[in-house]
Amino acid sequence: MKNSNPPYWADRFLRWYCNPKFLEEIEGDIYELFDRRVEKKGHKTAKIKFIWDVLRFFRWSNIKKSNSKYVNMNGTLLFKNYIKLGIRNIKKNLVTSSINIFGLAIAIAFAITTFIFVDMQLNMDRFHAKGDRIYQITNFMEQEGEDRRWGDSPLLLGPKIAADHPSVESFARIEFASGSVKAGADVFDELVTFVDPTYMEMFDYPMIYGSQQILYDKNKMVLSKEMAIKYFSDEDPIGQELSIKFLNGTIKRFTVGAVLDEFPYNAGLRDDLYVPIENFFDLKLRENYDWSYLTDATFVLIKEGESIESIASSFPEYMELQHSSNPEWKIKSFDPIPLYQLSLTSWQIVGSVSGGGHPGGRIALMLISAFLLGMACFNFMNISVVSATKRLKEIALRKVMGGVKKQIVNQFLVENTLQCMFALILGTLIAYFLLIPGFDYMIPQMELEMRSSEPESLVIFFVSLLLGVGLISGAYPAFYISRFEPIAIFKGNQKFGSKNLFSKIMLGLQFFLAVITIVGSFVIADQSMYLSEKDWGYDPAGSFSVYVADEEQYEQMRNEMIANPMVQTYAASNYLIGRGVPLRSLEYDNRQVPVRLIGVSEDYFETFQLRLKDGRFLTDQALDQQTAVVVNEVFVKEMGWEDDPINKTFVYDSLRRTVVGVVKDFHYYDFFSDIDPVIIHGLDKSNVRYLSMRTDPENVFELEQYAKTAWHGIAPNDPFDRVFQEDAFDDFYRENSTNITIMMIITGIAILLACLGLYGLLSFNIQGKLKEFSVRKVLGATPKTLARVAGKQYSIIILISFILGAPLGVMLMQQLIESIFSENQKALSATPFIISIGLILVTMTITVAGQVRKAIKINPADVLRNE
Amino acid sequence: MKGTNLGELEELIMLTVGSLFDEAYGVAVMDELREKTGRDLNISAVHAVLRRLEEKGLLCSRMGGSTNARGGRRKRLFTLTKAGKQILDQTIAVRTTLYNSIPDLTFNFSL
Repeated sequence: MKNSNPPYWADRFLRWYCNPKFLEEIEGDIYELFDRRVEKKGHKTAKIKFIWDVLRFFRWSNIKKSNSKYVNMNGTLLFKNYIKLGIRNIKKNLVTSSINIFGLAIAIAFAITTFIFVDMQLNMDRFHAKGDRIYQITNFMEQEGEDRRWGDSPLLLGPKIAADHPSVESFARIEFASGSVKAGADVFDELVTFVDPTYMEMFDYPMIYGSQQILYDKNKMVLSKEMAIKYFSDEDPIGQELSIKFLNGTIKRFTVGAVLDEFPYNAGLRDDLYVPIENFFDLKLRENYDWSYLTDATFVLIKEGESIESIASSFPEYMELQHSSNPEWKIKSFDPIPLYQLSLTSWQIVGSVSGGGHPGGRIALMLISAFLLGMACFNFMNISVVSATKRLKEIALRKVMGGVKKQIVNQFLVENTLQCMFALILGTLIAYFLLIPGFDYMIPQMELEMRSSEPESLVIFFVSLLLGVGLISGAYPAFYISRFEPIAIFKGNQKFGSKNLFSKIMLGLQFFLAVITIVGSFVIADQSMYLSEKDWGYDPAGSFSVYVADEEQYEQMRNEMIANPMVQTYAASNYLIGRGVPLRSLEYDNRQVPVRLIGVSEDYFETFQLRLKDGRFLTDQALDQQTAVVVNEVFVKEMGWEDDPINKTFVYDSLRRTVVGVVKDFHYYDFFSDIDPVIIHGLDKSNVRYLSMRTDPENVFELEQYAKTAWHGIAPNDPFDRVFQEDAFDDFYRENSTNITIMMIITGIAILLACLGLYGLLSFNIQGKLKEFSVRKVLGATPKTLARVAGKQYSIIILISFILGAPLGVMLMQQLIESIFSENQKALSATPFIISIGLILVTMTITVAGQVRKAIKINPADVLRNE
Repeated sequence: MKGTNLGELEELIMLTVGSLFDEAYGVAVMDELREKTGRDLNISAVHAVLRRLEEKGLLCSRMGGSTNARGGRRKRLFTLTKAGKQILDQTIAVRTTLYNSIPDLTFNFSL
């Protein structure tokens, strides 16, 4: 009877689950049945029945409940001993222990910082008591062929919703306007926020003075603490007056009615100067206050127990109203966003009133800290396993004296968790004193502090960090080591470390992660540096501009300025390069082309040193001033006029315009945004807003002083608003250099961790191989040979991890860059690779050199005399 | 008390164990039951009942000698304990008494 064995796996399954006490009888019985069935019913049926039997025996009473043959071993008594030994071991191997602890601490510090950062971003605006019922009504409009979400909403939407729906408790609108605030002799430009009186009741900003109802008096204003200090220093400002001159020239006085306390760290909406919205209507800043006008934001507060869905039914009606009064900008749909989601979505909202970053940064930070934590854990595992080689005899003795596997596992887990605890404490200190203040300093718009939205979540995070890291990095060494048989250890057969595949794979993984981080950081840094050196498309040095309110001011100012010999050329314009040029739409060939228009006087091109590509610049002849335009390269491409753009015509604003020249593309805003088609046309003098001048770059500050004095004579009621063209991209550069710094720090940490790991491993390895080195030395090995032997296996690992890690790092970062910069990407160059390889090689050599030196310097007699 | 009353399957298996005397192990009990009562039990059910009865102290067991038949695996052989015998006696006695007290009339189905 051949082939009459029951299915192997079923039998194995039985053996695995079955309590050993019952295994023999159960197995015996089902084997007997099996044999009988094979004879009677054939092989196949017997097999199936066998499986069935095995499954039927799988019941609670038959399942083995414990791995151990020894029941009821009380392990808790040994904990004190474990802790004592753990501390002794840390002291004994001070160098490797501190490497372990320090490496982990850095990674933990980074993780804590990331947690606090992400926690803050995810919990913006939570301090408003009614926040869960507040919604901003955003809407979708089509622009340049794609639907975009706008924060702006029709001015009359709020009142209409409140009137139509009893489920709405109140509404509040925000309308921004700039105004010149005069206090004493000083005049400052401020952003004035018109709000409905309900605004202060709806949102719960902490207040120092005054009440939430103060804005019902239309002559009162609310200041932020910062504003109050700016205008009234430390005095109580209540009852003081400030006058604001608005853009249409009207001046209005307001009495300070309330002062907000410092904004809570998680406040997404932070405005400085609030006045009742009624003034916005009174001041006639706009021509028509109807459905066609879009205000900056509309918030609604829903009554308790009601849902926002209740107002959704009226949206089509509101859209109808808006479409009929403003057919050019049709709203496609309304969409309410809960206040708590506002700062998370604000990067998608055009003209959002709330702060809030792109999620890319958040995700990148989380990824990086996960990488660093992973690296530190690998380090830990590696060094723990290798350091156990020194303690093999201790383990064996424990086992001989009656210690069971579980106890050894516990011992190592306790020891590792102990080290993790030290690391956690150290990491918290590093985060608290170094990283968090550091990030806080580097990212000025962020108030980063050690705190979380809820205290419990911070505690939970810390405990899970401790347990997670402790168990992950402690579990493998503990289980691996506890498996050894005492006999093998005492006989000296249990050797590991030198040929341990696991620790090599761990080291490889660690370098793999390090290489990804390093290469990735360098790709980002490379991109950032590329941007900082990027050509602006014109020459900003030595040019500087003054904002003027109207033609009269312009004339006066110009006359003052041309009297100064330092001014080489000057020009007038309605918008300033670097301060943003508005987007318009041009209809051509039955399609909409987005364009940006700048009106300039004839010397503009020389003042900014724009570069001519084709044709000529504008001249002061009347015809040129009216219909001739100069365009940029993107415009030419957009219109499809690549072969000969000169003298092509198009109609804009009911005038037929002729292209007389093409300038090279220049950046009118920042490098993050794409360059749109630009039309430069002659300036209608009544629209002049900027007087721009060019001088020698070294004279620019002197000229500014001169201009300032002149300005105070001409317009004492208006702020002196000047722009050094070189500062135009200042914010951008600051952000950019912050990015570079952060990336450098991350790279530094990654390299440090990888090298700590390498150092720890190598020092153990060489310790274990001292005899080998001694014998080699006695037999005449040169230091060079010794160094090669010591370093060989590691260089191969590092090489492999580099080959695998580098492309991955580039790929990840390239994707990140693509998502941030749609254009202006730097082509991938070899530099990041070369720098990374160099960096890794240098640090590795330094790390290895110290250890190899130890191996070379040994006196063979010391090591070998015991043999 | 649960331990003092026998379930129907428990009773049958105890009877079988008693009748097999010294040859009562899982498969044998199962076979005997099928032969005598026509019940087709799974072997795991038989094991469960046997173990439960042993825990109640109504059966005791020992490992038999190893033979070639089951790949050298020994059988666990069950025998009735004194308490087991007593309970069986009781149960049978109760049944007999009850049965005997049924009036003859009841069986006169032809009425």
